[in-house]
Amino acid sequence: MSVIIEAGKRHIREVNQDIQAALAAGDEVTVTETLSRHNLGVGLPEQGDISFKGSVGYYCGGLNTGTKIDIERNAGWAVGEGMSDGHITVGGYAGMSCGAAMMGGTIHVKGNAGPRCGVAMKGGNIVVEGKIGYQSGFMAHRGKIIALGGAGESCADALWEGEVWVAGPVDSYGVDVKVIEPTAEEVAEVDKILDPLGLVDSSRDWRKMISGQRLWYFESRDASAWLMI
Amino acid sequence: MCGIAGRILNAPGKVGHDLVELMDAQEHRGADSTGFAVYGAPIETGYILRCMGFDKASMDADLSDFRDILMAHGSDFVGEPTIVSDAAKHYCVRMVVKDPGDIARWIGDADDMSHRFEVQSCGRSLEIIKDTGGSVGVADKHGVRDMIGTHGLGHARLATESSVLPNASHPFWARPFPDVAIVHNGQITDYYTWREKLQRQGYRFLTENDSELIAVWVSDQMKQGLTAEQALRKSITSIDGVFTYMLARPEGIGFAKDRFAMKPIVAIEENGELAAATEEQAVRRVFADECDVINYDGPSMMGIWGAGNRSLAA
Repeated sequence: MSVIIEAGKRHIREVNQDIQAALAAGDEVTVTETLSRHNLGVGLPEQGDISFKGSVGYYCGGLNTGTKIDIERNAGWAVGEGMSDGHITVGGYAGMSCGAAMMGGTIHVKGNAGPRCGVAMKGGNIVVEGKIGYQSGFMAHRGKIIALGGAGESCADALWEGEVWVAGPVDSYGVDVKVIEPTAEEVAEVDKILDPLGLVDSSRDWRKMISGQRLWYFESRDASAWLMI
Repeated sequence: MCGIAGRILNAPGKVGHDLVELMDAQEHRGADSTGFAVYGAPIETGYILRCMGFDKASMDADLSDFRDILMAHGSDFVGEPTIVSDAAKHYCVRMVVKDPGDIARWIGDADDMSHRFEVQSCGRSLEIIKDTGGSVGVADKHGVRDMIGTHGLGHARLATESSVLPNASHPFWARPFPDVAIVHNGQITDYYTWREKLQRQGYRFLTENDSELIAVWVSDQMKQGLTAEQALRKSITSIDGVFTYMLARPEGIGFAKDRFAMKPIVAIEENGELAAATEEQAVRRVFADECDVINYDGPSMMGIWGAGNRSLAA
């Protein structure tokens, strides 16, 4: 069954409770009158389909554990923050800190993403069809950020074991970035992520960014002891 | 974290109403105090003053002494001042005064009584209303929704660098530059350094609020010959901290952001009108239909929007 839930000016806790109940009943959920409001669809369960019509505010899909979320237009700050599984699609622009500290799942942004996309992410994949903003990938522990339309300044600053893949121009690199030519096997792994989204293009000139491991926490400590992930 | 907002209309209209909506949607960003800067129809001579007295028990003496200072500068009240007072110890006053000539000299004298009575805005069209509490309470107390104008600013304050006091609220007037006001979201880390430099040039600061600096700093740069665009751009590399601020003048509203992209600002521009705010959900209170939002998310960004459908694009 398909259920329509109106957000409007209602208390977001009530809206989220209605969403939780509908998903628990196995319904497909559409949320209308989203009005860029914050915290919509935070903490959703392990399965279900939900569609937000219009734009959403901060933290949409945060702590997601498996739900498939479709956002018709823009998302505010930190869409999918801390998510461990599931799939989030943003039809337009994703604001700052998209996928911050996410642990798993996929975020697919059809437009551009704001600054610090994938900051401190610990797993999962972020695919941005446009450009990723200033200092994207900052301190990413694990997972992949894949930008098909270039990157802003200070890209991939202070990475741990996360990877930033960029096709297109990079305005500038961050501290401690090592840019490497990916192997065919590595490109094939990325194409596996892009394939279900219909975004594979063999003509792309990839730049893969990883940590240069020259920062103090790599040099002055036993790095393996500090990489606790 | 604070929330800021700006609104521009094509023609004089209910800008006060819209600013209250913009700030009501952002009250969760700071309900310590709320303030508004409204640019109404300019008066041809004299100035509109918005003032605050800190103890209503001394209201008569405050007004009498303040009038003496005005008269010493060839000015006086035009009509009776309007008093806004409730259970709080402080009270607010709106008055129109005759032109006191040299504003800097006059406000220099008037500020000698700023420990009990403070001028919070001075301009031919600018009026700053600010008080402790949330947007609806402040708006109801001061009749902000009924204020007519072409543009204005709003601010919801989460106090960090200075106390929760009605006079430490935003917006701040760029003392002594008439008709210039600012709202700010962030922290200025080198404000004491800048403040001391400006004080040595004769500028006076009445609060411990770091934001008070920005309005004066930008206005001083313009006094030295920079355009508004140049002054805003220069502030990004000259002032240290994380910030997004909006500066309003009769000509329009400008904004500037720090080098680290820590503080957001979004805007909707439709048919020459503008709503800008920290959060997208606020601008949607004014433009309820789905329309394109411009996210100024990046570092070191600035822009200028003209009031009354005049282009001031940077």
